[in-house]
Amino acid sequence: MTSTDPAAFFRELLGEWEKMANKVGGDFARSDEFTRAMHGATAATMSTQEAISAMMARALAAANMPSRTEIEDLSGRLGRIEDQLARIEAALGARPERPARPKPSRTRKPPEKKG
Amino acid sequence: MATAAFDVLDGAAREFERAMQRNLKGLEYFQTSGPTLGATPKDVLIERGTMRLYHYHPRTDDVYRVPLLLVMATTNRGYIFDMVPGQSLVEYLLDAGFDVFMLDWDAPRADERTLSLESYVLDFLPAAVARVKAESGEDDVTVVAYCFGGVLSLLWAALHPDSGLANLVTFTTPVDFSKMEMFQSWADRRFFDVDRLIDTFGNCPGDYLYTAFDMLRPGQRAAGNIRLYDNLWNDDFVKSYRMFDRWSADILPLAGEYFRQTTKKLMWGNELLDGTLEVGGRRVDLANIDVPFLHVAAEHDHIVPTAASAPLVGMVGSKDKNEIMLKGGHVSLVAGGNAVKRLWPNLVEWLGVRST
Repeated sequence: MTSTDPAAFFRELLGEWEKMANKVGGDFARSDEFTRAMHGATAATMSTQEAISAMMARALAAANMPSRTEIEDLSGRLGRIEDQLARIEAALGARPERPARPKPSRTRKPPEKKG
Repeated sequence: MATAAFDVLDGAAREFERAMQRNLKGLEYFQTSGPTLGATPKDVLIERGTMRLYHYHPRTDDVYRVPLLLVMATTNRGYIFDMVPGQSLVEYLLDAGFDVFMLDWDAPRADERTLSLESYVLDFLPAAVARVKAESGEDDVTVVAYCFGGVLSLLWAALHPDSGLANLVTFTTPVDFSKMEMFQSWADRRFFDVDRLIDTFGNCPGDYLYTAFDMLRPGQRAAGNIRLYDNLWNDDFVKSYRMFDRWSADILPLAGEYFRQTTKKLMWGNELLDGTLEVGGRRVDLANIDVPFLHVAAEHDHIVPTAASAPLVGMVGSKDKNEIMLKGGHVSLVAGGNAVKRLWPNLVEWLGVRST
């Protein structure tokens, strides 16, 4: 049955276009050419990132400032200290204060199956 | 003929009304930030680096004896299980009488680039399970895991047969990575230098993963935006669109070593399927899992195609094991209107008789 509603026709058309775009685009995205181009672009981004990182590290060292890597290392050491503290707290049974709530009983049974 | 003319006039009037509403609500769309997600009341039990363990406040006076731990995939946020009231799996489980915990993830810090599969399988999961046991006072725990959270849970369960696992449920969990065709193409080792990526960035950037997920369905974003405009008059549609759009854009970076290992061992080596995967120097054999097991697959899953999870049930050693295939996609399987009707009731029924 043909719809007389142009809006419904447009929605149907959109659904068909989406299916087609997913199929055609998906087939292309699966191809060697696309994968090579995608990773080529990623490699270019990485090269830029590496060059900027090296340049920034040199500039920061010249200004006697810590580099991003050094800050990250410090943050990592702090993180590991926090993790160790958390483990020690857990081992000692120390728990942060939480408002007391009544604990439910644990005797629930599944409902009887109907019919 | 008269009826057709009436239909056209009727349709034109409706579209005119909707166009008016679109203009009014379109303005509102850009002025508001969308619904608050993940707001079911909870306590944070563990907050350690990327790891988060939540305990949701029970909503019934009597709960099933066995506590339930949801394990989220490492690429996404756990609020997919707790969208808004009425569309929250967490709330649904609490109302059904379960004591619910969730192992969720935050973006790994730069210094967490050294986290590995071992960190997740031999540290985070056992720590979460131990805390759930301590908090509930029970010796056994049910684990319900989504996507790659399922892979981690399988590895943990296979390597810890005496961990007190009561039941294991996995949603859309791949074991045959050769069948994840699109990801296989992009991870092709002829072109993809995973070592350089991780050595350069430390962690695998979230943007990189977001683009990969987005490209799985190249037409979806454009069509979705047009559909949003078309449905701006419909508050329910807009609310749902905003929830899912926000969640799907909220992709987490992956810890560097962990990403390197999963690429080499699973995407390239398919070691889980071959039975050669080692974690922490121990061989993973899914036949060691002997607790009641359920896998739920989605018929139209474009991220984990059903072929990628098909061998799973056969590999698990349990006698009580089953797979169900439900209508829906990778996300609509677990959240939204489809999940409320299909997955959630099935899950509660399956777990109820196994949680006393």
